[in-house]
Amino acid sequence: MAELLTLAVIGLGTYAMRAAFLVMAHRAPPARVARLLPYVGPAVLAAIVVPAFAAPHGTITLAETAPALLAAAAAWLAWRHLKRNLPIALFVGLAVWWIASWAVSAAGGLGLGPS
Amino acid sequence: MTTLAAPKPVVHRAVRDVLPVVLAYAPFGLALGATLGATHLPAWVAWASSPLMFGGAAQLLAVQMLNAGAAGVLVVLGALVVNARMLLYSAALAPHTAAWPRRWRWLAAYFLADPVYALAITRFTGADADGPRERLRYYVAVGLVMWPAWMGLTGAGVLLGGVLPTSLRLDLAAPLTFLLLLLPMLTSRPAYAAAVAGGTVAVAASGLPLGLGLLAGAAAGIAVGGWLGGRDG
Repeated sequence: MAELLTLAVIGLGTYAMRAAFLVMAHRAPPARVARLLPYVGPAVLAAIVVPAFAAPHGTITLAETAPALLAAAAAWLAWRHLKRNLPIALFVGLAVWWIASWAVSAAGGLGLGPS
Repeated sequence: MTTLAAPKPVVHRAVRDVLPVVLAYAPFGLALGATLGATHLPAWVAWASSPLMFGGAAQLLAVQMLNAGAAGVLVVLGALVVNARMLLYSAALAPHTAAWPRRWRWLAAYFLADPVYALAITRFTGADADGPRERLRYYVAVGLVMWPAWMGLTGAGVLLGGVLPTSLRLDLAAPLTFLLLLLPMLTSRPAYAAAVAGGTVAVAASGLPLGLGLLAGAAAGIAVGGWLGGRDG
C-alpha cells in the first residue's frame, strides 16, 4: 500500500496548495501582485498546451509536430466560428489530427518505397 | 425555500457552462483511466488518484512514475511541481472568493482543478459580474458536476481499458481540451503576450527535469503579461 500512501501524500500537498490563498488569505493582495494575477491562467495553460503540441512525445519531429499543430489550429478556428462550442471544436481538432497523422505516415511510407 | 428563485439562473448557467467541458474531457478522462488501469498497480489504487488529486496531469505522472518503480519521494516531488500551478490559481481566485464563508472556501479548494478554475475566472471577471453569493453558487455547481464526472470518466476508462480499440488515438485530447479552456482567457493584448511567452519558454525549457519547464513558462508568461499590462494600462 506504499503506492496508495504516495498518492495520498500528493493529494494532501495539492490540497494545501489549492487552499493556500483561497482559505488563508484574509486581505487583498498587494497591488504589485494583484496586477499579475489576470495573467496566471493564460500563462499556465499555454505553458501546458504549447509543448504538448510542439513535441507530443517529448521531441519536435515533423511527423508528430505538424499534425498536432494543424489540429490545434483547426480546433481554434472551429471554436471561433462555431459559436465557441467546446465539444465540436475538440472533435474537429481530433479529426484533423487523425487525418493529418494518417497522411504523414502514408507519405512517409511512399517516400521509403517498398523494401 | 424562498431562496430558490434567486439561485436558479446562476446554477443553470453553471451547469450549461460545465456540461460541454465534461463532454470535452470525456476522451481525456477515458484515455487516462485506461492508462491507469494498464499499470501494475491494483486498479482501484490507480483510480484512487482521481479523488485524492482531482487533476489529470499529476495523476498521469504519479501513476506512471510509480509503475516505473520510481522512489516515492521523487514521485511526490514531481507531481507537486506539476501541481504547483494550483498555488497560482488559488492566488488568482482569492480576491473573488474573499467574502465566502470559510467552510465553503475549504470545499472550494478541493474543487480547484484546471477546468473549474478556467470556468470560474472567466465568469468572475466577465462582463456580467455576480455578487459573492452568486459566485459561490456558480463555483460549487461547476465543482459538483465536474467532480463526479471526472470520477466516472476515469473509472470507466479503468474498466473499459482493455475494450477500447488501440487504434483509437486520444493522446491529443488533453492538450486540445486545455487549449479550449485557454482561448476564452485571451481577451487582451497582455493576455495574448502572457500565453505566447508562457508557451515559448515552456517549449524552450521542456528539457528540465520534473516538469519544471511548465513552471518556467508560467513564470515568464505572468511576468510578460504583468509588464505589458502595466505599460498599457
